[in-house]
Amino acid sequence: MAANVRPPDPGADGRGDLPPHIAAASLPRRASPASERTPVYAMVGNPNCGKTTLFNALTGLRQKVGNYPGVTVEKKIGEAYSQHGRPMKIIDLPGAYSLAARSPDEAVTRDVLLGRRADTPQPDRVICVLDATNLERSLYFVHQIFDLGRPVIVVLNMMDLAQRAGIEIDARELEARLGVPVIAGEAVHGRGVVELRLAMSRAELPLPRHRWDVPAPIAPAVAELQASLSEGDGRPPLVARAEALLLLTDFDTVRVAGSTPLSARTTGILDAWRQRWAGQGTDWSGTLIKSRYDSIHRLCHDVTRRTRTQGPSLSDRVDAILIHSVWGWLVFATIMALLFFSIFTLAEYPMNWIDSQVAALGDWVKSTMSAGDLRDLFTDGVIAGVGGIVVFLPQILILFFFVGLLESTGYMARAAFLMDRPMSRVGLHGKSFIPLLGSYACAIPGIMATRTIEDAKDRLVTILVAPLMSCSARLPVYLLMIATLLPGDALPAGTKAGIMLLMYFLGTAGAFGFAWLFKRTLLRSSPPLMILELPPYQPPRFKDILRHMVERAWLFLKNAGTIILAISIVLWFLTTYPKHPDPAASPDVQIAHSFAGQAGKVIEPLIKPLGFDWRIGIGLITSFAAREVFVSSMGVIFGVQAGDDNTAPIRDAMRAAVWPDGAPLFTPLVCLVLMVYYVFAMQCMSTIAIVKRETNSWRWPLFQIAYMTGTAWLVCFAAYQAGRALGF
Amino acid sequence: MSSAPIPLSPLCQLPAGRTGRVTRLTGDEGFCQRIREMGFGEAALVTKISGSSTSLCLVNGMRIALNHGAAMSILVEHLPAAAR
Repeated sequence: MAANVRPPDPGADGRGDLPPHIAAASLPRRASPASERTPVYAMVGNPNCGKTTLFNALTGLRQKVGNYPGVTVEKKIGEAYSQHGRPMKIIDLPGAYSLAARSPDEAVTRDVLLGRRADTPQPDRVICVLDATNLERSLYFVHQIFDLGRPVIVVLNMMDLAQRAGIEIDARELEARLGVPVIAGEAVHGRGVVELRLAMSRAELPLPRHRWDVPAPIAPAVAELQASLSEGDGRPPLVARAEALLLLTDFDTVRVAGSTPLSARTTGILDAWRQRWAGQGTDWSGTLIKSRYDSIHRLCHDVTRRTRTQGPSLSDRVDAILIHSVWGWLVFATIMALLFFSIFTLAEYPMNWIDSQVAALGDWVKSTMSAGDLRDLFTDGVIAGVGGIVVFLPQILILFFFVGLLESTGYMARAAFLMDRPMSRVGLHGKSFIPLLGSYACAIPGIMATRTIEDAKDRLVTILVAPLMSCSARLPVYLLMIATLLPGDALPAGTKAGIMLLMYFLGTAGAFGFAWLFKRTLLRSSPPLMILELPPYQPPRFKDILRHMVERAWLFLKNAGTIILAISIVLWFLTTYPKHPDPAASPDVQIAHSFAGQAGKVIEPLIKPLGFDWRIGIGLITSFAAREVFVSSMGVIFGVQAGDDNTAPIRDAMRAAVWPDGAPLFTPLVCLVLMVYYVFAMQCMSTIAIVKRETNSWRWPLFQIAYMTGTAWLVCFAAYQAGRALGF
Repeated sequence: MSSAPIPLSPLCQLPAGRTGRVTRLTGDEGFCQRIREMGFGEAALVTKISGSSTSLCLVNGMRIALNHGAAMSILVEHLPAAAR
């Protein structure tokens, strides 16, 4: 038997059988957005159901999409236009399975929908994007959205995949049963976008009419809590109902209430009901969830039809290899090896071309300008600094192309599956590997991606170790040092790729090691339980991958044209002034006399035990802004030192560098130790800023700087001293 | 005549290729809540695709990976080989 507490179904008069205290304030049957202002739509749905693809199609924006759960972890706001040319605001929200949020990304969705975010308007209308291959599970979240009493448009996305899986959905019947517009489509192919825009353009949208009876043992509690939340906690009536249902689904009251504590009255009611149910042995959370699913199951039974029994899909057959305990690892290792091999082989031609253009530009400036400080500023500061870094653009693009392939095909989630076992050895689970894998490209999105991790301590551990994964900014440093270490093009690319792979391995091993340490000391918690949905494989979407590569290339060039340019000019000034009293002094003597030379000498005692001199020290300091600045700094320092007639690549100037006693500075051992330093040291201001934001404290970023840079020093000291003792 | 008891075991012990019905969830409350919300609650049919330490399962047409701890917390009754 079910009690008569229902979601808003106001019927013909707009009142229906809502409780009296709500009926007075309830919305009419057909709700229209305020005509005076831009209507606000929220786009919601389960993770990886195609929300962002649809959002991009509607707004013309280019938010990142991928084929794994957790691509969107923060709300994105865009603007679209109705068929009448009226602007409409759309908020793309992170994927969620339920309004009972269990991770920070889901909490963003819940808070926006419940109107708790001061920086975001509460949506007037909600677009629920459903994965048509998974209707029942998708409708659970929609069911909760209906509790909010807002007009809803349902989009049945991935209809093509559903048909291929033998699932037929009667969209018209579903629309009739739910009482809201239902649009069948395939966002990837742009199908359904026009229909959605038309539905969004309607001045009036109906409120959901799907009926659901709250189970009898729970219903009185819902009514009581709803009244208390509405009267005592000041919640709008329909939000009060949704929140009452959430409080009776989620065991963690604080998680539901967010930063607004519940009133004593509401807390008292909740505690009393929970105690009563505990005494009766009633599983209130399970009862509510089951009741929703029973209702959804009946609905799905009526609107879906299986046209054939599903055998093993293509994804199943591919998974039989890619997540196999032996073949899976071989494929994983092959992908990584192929990535590094490509970086050294495919990138060679464009790199040589850029290198020659930079050199030609330097020569042209030298031949057209008269000798002097201004010319030196251009050649030794701007061209050596910025040109030295721009040359690595092709390799960075290759890295992003590979990461894009992994994200687009659905392999990321498989990598997390494979890595679950090794991750469990250090106290984390496979889900933590997705942010770590993303950090190979850049630690910033990697750290943002930790928002999908439910346990706060596991999330913090993942944030703390993510910057140890070798990001794309380290790539130019590694490449420069490998070029200095292994001169000549005759050496096989495999050897260079092998050294590179070693650095990536070292960073990954470091991340695992520190995760193990933190989980056993600072951030001890019970072993986490992992539930991860593996999306079906999809062909790579090259358009999106290329677009992402162009965006990254632009970002890289923008950095080169702003931060790196500014640092190069400042560094040129610091290495050129004050001028040595003797105008005929050699470049070596001049640079030692400069501001940078003097500052470098101050820190030299600290880094000399690692085999580094003051010139490298300057690079270490300047690259605190961003790791790749090390390369431009070396370009400026050794460009200045090489004098006017030398436009050779930086690596040649570095190979010629010596200590005051004539011993070579960049020995193979020093090159390796320098790479190891960059594997471990925290050298990125943007990462520090994002860690501060994500942990809401300076404590953790400062700790991160201390432990990472301290480890870098200790490991380099041990490696250099051991290498020296062994005669290297 | 009594029918043979249906074997009950944690999901991680369900052989690959076999289907079971979820009978009980034994993990912490938050885990049980989430897994029910994903449609993996009591009475759901689950087919084990592969894995022992990390399990890959098919539930309602979706592939779900569970680590060992999670798969240990889900008790299933083994269904006959023909059941799907």
